[in-house]
Amino acid sequence: MKEESHPQQAKIVCEDISKVFIQKGKQRVHVLDHISLDVKENEFVVILGPGQSGKSTLLRIIAGLETPTEGRVLVDGRPVEGPGPDRGLVFQGYMLFAWKTVLGNVEMGPKLRGIPKKERREIAAHYIHLVGLDGFENHYPHQLSGGMKQRVGIARAYCNDPKVMLLDEPFGQLDAQTRYFMEKETARIWETEKRTILFVTNNIDEAIYLADRVVTMEGKLPGRMHVVYDVDLPRPREHTDMAFLKLRHEIAEASTLTL
Amino acid sequence: MVDIANEIKLQVTERSPLTLAAVLKNRWFLYGASTLTFFWIWDAAAVARIFSSGLPRPHEVALQLWRMLFDPLAGKSLLGHIWASTQRILIGFTIASLVAVPLGLAMALNRYVNAVVKPLFDLLKPMPPLAWISIAILWFGIGETSKVFIIIIGTFVPCLLDAYNGVRLVEPELYDVVRMLGGKRRDEIIQVCFPAAFPAIFAGLQIALSIAWSCVLAAELVSARSGLGFIIILGMNLSRPAMVVGGMVVIALIAWAMSQLVSALERFVCPWKREIDNR
Repeated sequence: MKEESHPQQAKIVCEDISKVFIQKGKQRVHVLDHISLDVKENEFVVILGPGQSGKSTLLRIIAGLETPTEGRVLVDGRPVEGPGPDRGLVFQGYMLFAWKTVLGNVEMGPKLRGIPKKERREIAAHYIHLVGLDGFENHYPHQLSGGMKQRVGIARAYCNDPKVMLLDEPFGQLDAQTRYFMEKETARIWETEKRTILFVTNNIDEAIYLADRVVTMEGKLPGRMHVVYDVDLPRPREHTDMAFLKLRHEIAEASTLTL
Repeated sequence: MVDIANEIKLQVTERSPLTLAAVLKNRWFLYGASTLTFFWIWDAAAVARIFSSGLPRPHEVALQLWRMLFDPLAGKSLLGHIWASTQRILIGFTIASLVAVPLGLAMALNRYVNAVVKPLFDLLKPMPPLAWISIAILWFGIGETSKVFIIIIGTFVPCLLDAYNGVRLVEPELYDVVRMLGGKRRDEIIQVCFPAAFPAIFAGLQIALSIAWSCVLAAELVSARSGLGFIIILGMNLSRPAMVVGGMVVIALIAWAMSQLVSALERFVCPWKREIDNR
C-alpha cells in the first residue's frame, strides 16, 4: 500500500502528446500522435526513428522549446512550461558560442544562473575533465574538431547539473570513426556521472550500444511510437556480440526502417 | 586516460629548400615584382607623354609632397590639410556610427522600432549621399558643418544596415541554448545577439569608412579652403598634376591606415574570429 501511495515517480513523463504545426497557408502538419513515454531515474532511453518521424519535435517539446497541441510533459513531477536549466539539451549542430572559449561555453549555464565566478570555474573544470578536454579550456570552437565540439556541448549541458539530459542526434554530423568513439565516450561519461538521458538517433547500432531501452518510431508522419525494446546486454557492449546482433536483427525486422 | 589525440587538428608547416622556383612562387617576391612593374609602367607612360603633360613621373610626385610638407598652401602645410580632412571624417564617422549602430540593433531586436524607422530609412537609403551636397551648403553654409553632415549621411546607411543584418542573421538555435541554460531575454541579447553581430558591425564600419572618404573629398572639391580635396582641386586649377596625384596618393595612404585601425580594433574586440587572410 505504501508503495502505491508513493509510487516511484518517473523522471520524465510524456502524457498523450500530440503536435500539429500550422504552416503558412493554413496547412496543418500532424507531427506527433498520442505519444506516451516514461523515463525512470538514471535510465538511458534512446528514441530510434528515421528522419521526419517526429522524434526531434518530441525532444523539443520535453525541452520546453515547443508546446504540445495536446497532452503534457512532467519532469520530476512538475509540468514543463518552457525551457529551463533543469533539462540539459545537446544539439545536433553543436550550437557553441563561437565568441567564447571552451571554458566560457561550459560555464555559461552557471553564469546565467548567477553562480559566483570562482565556484562556476570549479564546476566547469570538473565537467571539462569529465568529457576529456583538459588542456583545451582556452581554445575557441573553431579550433576544435567536430567530436571535440560536441564534447563541449555535452559538458555545457552537464554543467547545470540538470535533472535530465536530452540529446538530439548529437553525433549526426560526425564521421563514422569519430561517431563510434564518441558513443563509447558517452557510455563512459554516463556511467561516471549517472543522469536520466533521453537520446534521439536514426542509427540502430548507436541505439543498442547506448540504451537501457530503445523506443522505435514509425517511419512516417504523424509520428507514433512503434515498439519498445529492453536492452539487457552487459556493459561495456560490443557491436559484434551475438546478443547485440540478434537484437539488431530483431529491431530491423520489426521496423519499417531500412537499416 | 582519454585519448583524443586522433581528434586534434595537426598544423604542420614545412620548410621547403631555396630554389629558383620557390623564389618565383614566394609571396613577397611577387608583391615586390608587381609593385615595381606598376611604377615602371607609370614612369614609362609619363616619359612617353601619353597624357601630354597631365601625368607626372613618380619621383616628381614624391618631390611635390616633400615640398608641401614645408611650404604652406592656403596657410596650411600638408600635415595640416591631412588633419583637416581626417578631422571631418572622424567627427562625421563617430556621430554616424554612434547613432546608426545602436539604431540598427534596436530595429533588429524590436519590431515596433523597426516599423517606425524602416519606411524612413528605406526612403533615405537609395539616395546617393553626394546628392545632399547642395542642400547641405544651403542649410549649413560652406563651413565645417556641411562637410560633416555629408559624411554622416553617407556613413549612416552601411552602419545601420550591417548592424541590423548582423542581428537578423544570428542562428536562432543559439537563443534556444541560452534559454535552456536558464537565461532570460536580456541574456539572449547580451550573450548572443551582440557578440554574434560584432563581425557584421565591423564590416559595416569598414564600408562606412571608405564612403566617408568619398564624401569628404566630394565636399572639399565643391567648396573648401583646406583638406586633401582642396589640394587636388587646387592642383587642377594650377595645372600641376604632381599636386593632384600627390593628393590622391596621400588619401589612399590615410584611408588604408584608418581601415587598418578598424581591423585592429576588431581583432581586439573579437579575438575569436578566425583570421581568414593571415596565411
